[in-house]
Amino acid sequence: MKLFDWRWLAVSSVLAVTLMARAEARPQYGGTLHVTTRAALTSLDPADSSQSASFAQENILRLIFETLVSIDDAGRIHPGLAIGWKPAANERRWHFQLRRGVKFQDGTLLTPEIAAASLRAANPAWTVSADSDGLVVERDVADPELPAELALPRNAIARRNSGAAPIGTGPFRIGEWQAGKKLVLAAEEDYWSGRPYLDSIEIEMGRSFRDQMTELELARADLVEVAPEQAHRASLDGRKLVISEPVELVGLVFAQDAKTPEEKSLREALALSIDRASIRNVLLQGAGQPAGALLPNWMSGYEFVFPTDSDLARARRDRDQSRNVPAWKLGYDANDSLAKFLSERIALNARDAGLQLQPAAGATGDLRLVRASYTSPDPWLALAGLATLGGVATTKSAGSVEDLYASEQALLNTRRIIPLFHLPVVYAAAPTLKGWTLRADGSWNLADAWLGAR
Amino acid sequence: MREAVYNSSIPDVASKSVKRGLRLARVFRIVLQFSFFLLSLRIGAFAVDWSAPEQNLARKIAAITGPGAIAVAIENRSSLNKRDSDIIQNGLRSALEALGIRFVNADQSAATVSISLSENAASYVWVAEIHQGAGESAVVMVSAPRPEGSLTARDSVPLVLRKTSLWSQGDPILDVAVLEESQSPTHIAVLEPEKLSLYRFQNGKWQAEQSLSIVHNRPWPRDIRGRIIPASDHLLDAYLPGVICSTAPSSVAALNCRESDDPWPLLSGTMSGGAMSVFPSAGLGSGATTLVPQMKAFFASTRNFFTGVLAPGVGKFTTVPKFYSAAFLPREKYTLWLFATTDGMTHMVDGVSDQAAKLGWGSDFVTVKTACGAGWQVLASSRETNGDFVRAYEFPDREPVAVSTPVDFQGTITAMWTEAHGDTAVVVTRDPDKGNYEAFRLAMACSQ
Amino acid sequence: MAGGPITVTFRRKLLAVFALTVFVTVAGVGGLVLILTRQAFEKNEDQRTSALFTQFQGEFTRQGEEVARRVDAIAGSEPIGRMATALSATAADSAAYFDLAKSLADTHRLDFLELVDSRGIIISSAQSPAKFGYPENDFENLTATAERTPFLMQQELPDSTALAMMAVRTSRVGDHPIYVIGGRRLDKSFLAAIELPADMQVLLYMNRGDHFSSEFLIDPSGSTAVPSTLVTLIDSVRQYNQETTGIVHRSADQGDDELFHAIPLRGVGKDHPLLGILLIGSSRRSYVELKRHIRDSALLVGGGGIVLAILLSSWAAARVTRPVELLARAAHDVAAGDWDARVDVPGNDEISQLAESFNRMTSELLAQKERTVQAERVAAWRELARRLAHELKNPLFPLQLTVENLLRARTQSPELFQEMFQESAGTLLAEISNLKKIISRFSDFSKMPQPQLQVVNLNETLRGVAQLFQAQFEAPGRLPIECKLELDSHLRSIAADPELLHRAFSNLVLNAMDALPNGGTLVLRSRQEDANEIIEVSDTGSGLTPEECERIFTPYYTSKQHGTGLGLAIVQSVVSDHGGRISVKSETGRGTTFRIELPADRQSVEHLGNPDTPAKSIL
Repeated sequence: MKLFDWRWLAVSSVLAVTLMARAEARPQYGGTLHVTTRAALTSLDPADSSQSASFAQENILRLIFETLVSIDDAGRIHPGLAIGWKPAANERRWHFQLRRGVKFQDGTLLTPEIAAASLRAANPAWTVSADSDGLVVERDVADPELPAELALPRNAIARRNSGAAPIGTGPFRIGEWQAGKKLVLAAEEDYWSGRPYLDSIEIEMGRSFRDQMTELELARADLVEVAPEQAHRASLDGRKLVISEPVELVGLVFAQDAKTPEEKSLREALALSIDRASIRNVLLQGAGQPAGALLPNWMSGYEFVFPTDSDLARARRDRDQSRNVPAWKLGYDANDSLAKFLSERIALNARDAGLQLQPAAGATGDLRLVRASYTSPDPWLALAGLATLGGVATTKSAGSVEDLYASEQALLNTRRIIPLFHLPVVYAAAPTLKGWTLRADGSWNLADAWLGAR
Repeated sequence: MREAVYNSSIPDVASKSVKRGLRLARVFRIVLQFSFFLLSLRIGAFAVDWSAPEQNLARKIAAITGPGAIAVAIENRSSLNKRDSDIIQNGLRSALEALGIRFVNADQSAATVSISLSENAASYVWVAEIHQGAGESAVVMVSAPRPEGSLTARDSVPLVLRKTSLWSQGDPILDVAVLEESQSPTHIAVLEPEKLSLYRFQNGKWQAEQSLSIVHNRPWPRDIRGRIIPASDHLLDAYLPGVICSTAPSSVAALNCRESDDPWPLLSGTMSGGAMSVFPSAGLGSGATTLVPQMKAFFASTRNFFTGVLAPGVGKFTTVPKFYSAAFLPREKYTLWLFATTDGMTHMVDGVSDQAAKLGWGSDFVTVKTACGAGWQVLASSRETNGDFVRAYEFPDREPVAVSTPVDFQGTITAMWTEAHGDTAVVVTRDPDKGNYEAFRLAMACSQ
Repeated sequence: MAGGPITVTFRRKLLAVFALTVFVTVAGVGGLVLILTRQAFEKNEDQRTSALFTQFQGEFTRQGEEVARRVDAIAGSEPIGRMATALSATAADSAAYFDLAKSLADTHRLDFLELVDSRGIIISSAQSPAKFGYPENDFENLTATAERTPFLMQQELPDSTALAMMAVRTSRVGDHPIYVIGGRRLDKSFLAAIELPADMQVLLYMNRGDHFSSEFLIDPSGSTAVPSTLVTLIDSVRQYNQETTGIVHRSADQGDDELFHAIPLRGVGKDHPLLGILLIGSSRRSYVELKRHIRDSALLVGGGGIVLAILLSSWAAARVTRPVELLARAAHDVAAGDWDARVDVPGNDEISQLAESFNRMTSELLAQKERTVQAERVAAWRELARRLAHELKNPLFPLQLTVENLLRARTQSPELFQEMFQESAGTLLAEISNLKKIISRFSDFSKMPQPQLQVVNLNETLRGVAQLFQAQFEAPGRLPIECKLELDSHLRSIAADPELLHRAFSNLVLNAMDALPNGGTLVLRSRQEDANEIIEVSDTGSGLTPEECERIFTPYYTSKQHGTGLGLAIVQSVVSDHGGRISVKSETGRGTTFRIELPADRQSVEHLGNPDTPAKSIL
């Protein structure tokens, strides 16, 4: 079985570049960074849950808005707009001490009241109150994950005036906004953490991967998205790619719970019939990892325990336990050619195990092929997000890695979700873009980025 | 539970922590700031106390298996370096033994325990998969906090390749084998197209001991290649295109050459039972020998390459494209073979698939087993305008990661073979200006 | 012309016969022409369709060759060569080529393309990219057709099945062959690419499933409705697996009909399965329009003929029927009493002879009538003479006897003569007086005066009559007659001559008294009926026989031993002069009732009632 991992190509590329690199000049101020994204944002309100979450959305929102705290790849919480936090009442009540002197982009001072109002808007179920130097979040039950949750982009602090677009405290302010098409961000001169190097960022939205690559080649874009399955070819074409850790789960999600043991067996048979390795090798062109678990190994550390190899013999045995085999309709996103190929291949694999699976473009179906990004680098929050995707209610809670394993195992045992692959996000950047980094969770850090000479 | 902090400390703690987030970024920074490396290495060298998670995991395992005989396999899937990994493995075994568990082979055990030293972004995760009886399995795991310093002690530590000149002469050198050595080589064999010469270091200088001519009926091909394989029951075998010569078992005074199409061994390790090559531990404890199935390849008698026909073959592949040289990397369940094919590509064959890649390497590469990094490195020749160089690479997966600085050579590399112990390689170069040949030994130094 | 509007005249009948004859003739000729034209046209149509089918086959073959040429080009293309080389030495990983087929198919404009290795494993598939690594269906058959002519094949797609024109070529760049299996979908665009005459169309039915389904019918025109006749045609081909022809009705308009040739399309393999049905339709519009043209012409000519026929036949009928009509009119005139009616028909044909006979007949009839009138007049005179003789004979006979007695007495006994004379003179005077009376009665009847109208109250008149005869009803010596007056007090006054009415009523009362020799009841009744005033005079006498009732108003008829028989005739005359009518109803033994109806003419009454208009009186 061929298992190559293009992540390492990227690592080596970076390494090679750094090894050969001469000492760079000091960072230069100025310039406009041109970014293209496939997602087309329709709202710039972090609390607006009406649009489907995408990396692009989170990344863009992070440029404008900030959260009280931030979370690093290791799941550690760091100060953001809050400089300190303390739980009380057995972690049901959390106090966050606000950073002083932070101003919104319209010059308004960040006050505990505004922050509390913002959090209330994003989380109507929470009790958030302001006090003299910060705010207090109260929950009904103990919530050890609250700081991690506050690091999610949707909990970014925004000042909402009725009618006008929300205003943030981030390093960039909104210059021009054409919903779904274009966003121009301008550097916030008085940003509390120091004005960003870039003068502005122009983000063209709703562009196909192919268009984005063309834009990059024509030097009309400096930072573009690359489809994971195109990463290998792009690297063969000499593109310098930056590839994140696996941050997206490709999986099959059933619309209903398995009602009978036979149905569970059938779902098990489907999971066993899928030849993830060859799909990864061919359709994904080596990108990502076959997934037997919901969480990728970099989050959980135990993913290898879940087998990913197909086992047709066992799949047929499982299938034979059921007297009548229903014809399942497999829905997939019609705009996603990879999803179409994956669905068709899975249907073929399923047929080998004696299952009937009919791929159909559209969101409906007995099961859907979904591509879900992890909501947070925190495994508990990520797992809770996936549970919601599968329609299974789980209580997010912190605990040992063994508890996490047990939760994930329980979620998988519902047979609502069959994990298939963990995919990274891939970006290609112009050589002139310096100082930008991609975090493990796929998010950009453009505040420190700058444009050098071509 | 998260720690409650009131870290009203300096504000830029946050940005630094975030920046450190990505492993890529870490590597980036590590490389940029080499001095920080040294510091990290030093931190990594500090003894870390793993005993708590070790005992914790051992208790969890024992709670399932109970005391008795089990088979344990421990695999390092994390960024722990070999040293730490070994320490933990030993610690785990001790902890298990302390709980009344004996270690036996898999066929004698009631339970098999596969322990993986894994990690996630926050910590190390040690997972034990326990198989008892038919189909019964349990998974237990513990997490071990990641010491700040150990994070950086990753496999990507650049190693240092050192070259030592072995021999130099005006006539072409096909291979040089060190037959005896103490601190430095004292007895060497130099294979030339027409003869095999033995030299001994005596009285402070090399003295010719014997010169045994190689009998062959056909003319040699251009760019002739040859290789010396030290043997266990006689001194050595010399493989040349279409000709195999062996020294007499009793004496070295004779070299028996015969026309033969027999395949050449690709593994140079000490022959053991004909089927496996044993790689002696290079500086490690006695338990750390590695067995790699022997592989032979037929050499084209009138050309300078291997025909591509393998014996016994890699998995389902018994033929690969014609190649100049081969290297291998033992993996958990298989061996990944790399072939420098005549079309300039590098083919990676794992027994199931054959993937061709253009790695920008020259036509010679070898495998060395060292105590550094991941333990197995590929030394590959490459060419630059002012001369060839050799560099060590590791393959965490299928992509090479350079783990050493390049070693430059004056002139062209004409031969490169792994030495008998497997931890060093011999490189023969030809200086186009002077026209003479020089043989070097390349050895890996884990740190400076 | 006599008779109502619905009367079917002879002329009309004749006209209809003429028109029908012309119509039938024109229709018959038109129909014959139509049948002959259709036969000729259908023959022509068959020839044209077969020519077009040949042309289609040529196009179909050309398309197939085009497919084969493209597949050839792909098999010989550089990317395939490179792939074959790369995959030949070892079974190197083919993952990198999984989308090669798609790009090659796009470049060479093929709908289907699969690259299959020597073991039959799909390396790359343009139509089902997910099928890499799976064995190619029917590989044995496909490789057997390599390098041969294109063939039809059913292509399994991820979500459907398609019919395709396929070709297989081999690339032998490396040690192992690479099979290039490519083709074009037999779909709308494929069919549309076939150049056909304007009134021809090609449909394709993909033979799948047990029943006809419109989703398998490929129609480049994009029409969604499938006529049932086409379904029948397709089902017939599916059932019998042979070429079939049929007419397909697309709408009520026959011009939309099409003649379809259904040709089974078979695939490769041992059974040559029926994969599809090619339907070549040619519009019957031109044929139908020609047919219509002929029909319209026939209708026009026929219609014109009929109009002309009507004109001509009406002229002819007029010529024929005019003498007949003259005859009929003359006959009618004759019937109406115009005995002088004559028919003038010139010529010497049957009609003129008939007219001449008619004229002769009327002349004869006229002469006959005059003779009859004369005879009747003579008879009437004879009756009057007989009456007069009868009436006059009775008094004359005593006169003669008396005179003869006088003469005999003077000669035989002059002494008694004076006495005789005195006695006889009295008798003679009496008889002469009787004669005068008779003569006066006849004279009265002849001199019935014209009524002098004035407003008359009939009840008053009736009462007057009753009063007049009251004494006689109770006269001694006879059985009494009871007279009853049943008068309607609301009776209206009428314009009449009271004298004449009085006389008429008196006659009726006298008549009744005569009928009541043994006494009885006499009723005078008046009442109003509709616009008429009714007067009834009833008696309870012996009644009349029906014969008597019929003849009772005839003048000089009497049932009595004495009497002139003019009384009731006078009554009838008076009533008639007043615009009324009299009738009698009698039952033998139960009495007789005379009933007089007099019109109540209000205008006259009002006119007479005006004081400025002096009432005329006959008194």
